[in-house]
Amino acid sequence: MNLSFTDEQNLLRDSVSKFCGSDYDFETRMKSVNSDSGHNPEHWKLFAELGWLAIPFSEDLGGLDGGDVDLSLMFEEFGKSIVVEPYLANVVLSGGVLKRSDLEEKTDLIEHLITGEKQISLANYEPQKGFNLDNVDCEISEDGSVNGLKTTVLNAPNADFFLVFGKHQAGHAFALVSKDAAGSKVTSYKTYDGFVSGDLHLENCKADAVFSKSDALDVLHQAILEGIICVSSEAIGAMETCYKLTIEYTQQREQFGQSLSKFQALQHRMVDMFMETEFSKSFLLKVLATDDENERTKLIYGLKNQIAKAGKYVGEEAVQLHGGMGVTEEMSVGHYLKRLLVITNLFGNSDYFLDKYIES
Amino acid sequence: MDLNFSKEDLEFRDEVREFLDKEYPKHIKEKMNNGDELSREEVVEWHKAVAKKGWMGHSWPVEHGGTGWDATKVYIYLRELALAGCPTFVPFGLQMVAPVIWTFGSEEQKKKFLPRILNFDDWWCQGYSEPGSGSDLASLKCKAVREGDEYVLNGQKTWTTLGQHADWIFVLVRTDDSGKKQEGITFILVDMKTPGIEVKPIITLDGDHEVNEVWFDNVRVPAENVVGEEGQGWTYAKFLLFHERSSIAGAPNMRRVLNSLKIRAKNTYHTDKPLSEDKNFQSKVAQFELDLDALEMTELRGLAAMREGKSPGAESSLLKIKGTELQQRLSTIAVEMAGHEGMPYGGPYGFSDVEVAATKSDQLSAPKYLNFRKVTIYGGTNEIQKNIIAKAVLGI
Repeated sequence: MNLSFTDEQNLLRDSVSKFCGSDYDFETRMKSVNSDSGHNPEHWKLFAELGWLAIPFSEDLGGLDGGDVDLSLMFEEFGKSIVVEPYLANVVLSGGVLKRSDLEEKTDLIEHLITGEKQISLANYEPQKGFNLDNVDCEISEDGSVNGLKTTVLNAPNADFFLVFGKHQAGHAFALVSKDAAGSKVTSYKTYDGFVSGDLHLENCKADAVFSKSDALDVLHQAILEGIICVSSEAIGAMETCYKLTIEYTQQREQFGQSLSKFQALQHRMVDMFMETEFSKSFLLKVLATDDENERTKLIYGLKNQIAKAGKYVGEEAVQLHGGMGVTEEMSVGHYLKRLLVITNLFGNSDYFLDKYIES
Repeated sequence: MDLNFSKEDLEFRDEVREFLDKEYPKHIKEKMNNGDELSREEVVEWHKAVAKKGWMGHSWPVEHGGTGWDATKVYIYLRELALAGCPTFVPFGLQMVAPVIWTFGSEEQKKKFLPRILNFDDWWCQGYSEPGSGSDLASLKCKAVREGDEYVLNGQKTWTTLGQHADWIFVLVRTDDSGKKQEGITFILVDMKTPGIEVKPIITLDGDHEVNEVWFDNVRVPAENVVGEEGQGWTYAKFLLFHERSSIAGAPNMRRVLNSLKIRAKNTYHTDKPLSEDKNFQSKVAQFELDLDALEMTELRGLAAMREGKSPGAESSLLKIKGTELQQRLSTIAVEMAGHEGMPYGGPYGFSDVEVAATKSDQLSAPKYLNFRKVTIYGGTNEIQKNIIAKAVLGI
């Protein structure tokens, strides 16, 4: 048994941590959040230069051959500063679909992702269709015509291309849709965590290509599983910041002639926050260290169940222990809760994944 | 003991329903049902409609214009209003400062302020918390110095709910800092139009402007606006907080929200079957209903005690804790129910005037959840409420 990270992995963590520590204070983040694109293009360029966008791709696709552990380390660091740059949408979800797909142009597209020149969004969820990945109405015809409505298309306003998942003949397929394609329309919005998202309307829209006709659902499933590992790691980073901010705040804040941190009732609350964070970390490590594919899938469902509960709990406690200041927009702690709440519900909430765990 | 309503009670219920049917302004009803925010004018219009009927003083003594209803009638009345989705009453005048004025105020103050509160001619707000004095309210520093027939106020209050709309503010000020911190606090009524008052918005996590900072810079207030005795403000402040807490729980309103969630669950899908048929969801809802029943009965016990002339005491902390926990749990059920569709956001950095695919109710779930983080903090945090129960109820 070996639970330690490699030297390369530690270097990666240090480099992400250094970026977040020096270039990503709360004011900088909120500037990005308040901009139209919802992120800082200079940061995105930097991510590309540092090679971060190449991590989860194999060398023959121009990548660095990294795996889930590398992604997880990065996302934990991202979570500590609730980084809004669209890494999940582009590299993990869209990249995750592309690298597993049989799309002819995938090498080119992944190259554009890695250089940061193009952005790509995955469009699979639909209104009132829930979290089951196969539950879609969107139709992709043999000649590449696409009809449907997709929601929560992460990073949609910045996307140059969409990977649209839909029904195709007897099964499912993906359609590669350019943002300028006739018959496609994006309704852009922000989600309450400050990230950008959108609805994608497709009406007799001509796709550039239809791909992965034989195994689209499996490709999508694998990409989402990787996404769950990433957002869970991100949540753990955010939880860690939450309890640390809370300790700091309660040490500073004086009431009844002493710091709040001196009150035993509050100390126990912070210990509970810390413990939830640590046990979440342990569970994540169990997932990362499990090789058997079926077992791993089941554990990823378990991980999302755990994170959906623990993340929200720690975020809520952090706000509560900050008192009135915690519910203000100007304090960072509430923004951690917002991101944790999105992660709680993204891809499915705790109940949903508890059932998935039981069923698998 | 009997939980059934008498024939007379049922007739009264029908009377309330008839009133709501006829006098609850349709445009306000529509906005409330849509979850839209009301303007100041609309809030006033609603209160005036109730005042015209003579029903504003449901918790007031008859001598000051109260309805004189028994506990059952008050319960029926508030329940019908909540079930109809009416706006909640702005509590700062009606339920907070009014009891202080009729209990501790002068005859002139009673005559001047109570009828205007009952008629919602004045919108009141609260000047209690300060940046350095939250849970430890008695450590407050906002200063009032007597100069002839006036007090001169300097300092800052915060978390003043709807202060941007208010005509009057009741303020706890320090008139003496030589003794214990609880001594030397004075309860004073201040016209918001007085020169030197500045209201600054605080934006909360849901993106809303509901609370404010209120700054006082050499604000001159007539000495006749002091309630009771100078230096006795802490006694009045605590009296008011008990009243505030007993009105915070709001079980009937939660019942209405829960019912609408249950209806929506029939058309909400997380899997292939509707959420209403999902075991996890069903058990969450059932657990919630059981807790709500217990809360409601506790509210009724409190109402009954109040009608027997017992002033709400430390027991009101029970209602505050449980009521606010349930409010948060309900908002969590709603936001989890909305799933992805609860994510589009219309707040400060969100979108506006964009037609999104998610329903309005789903979109409102997260702002509601975020807004409700405050309820376990305001009116004395739930941690403080537990201290009160430990000390004043359990005697430990």
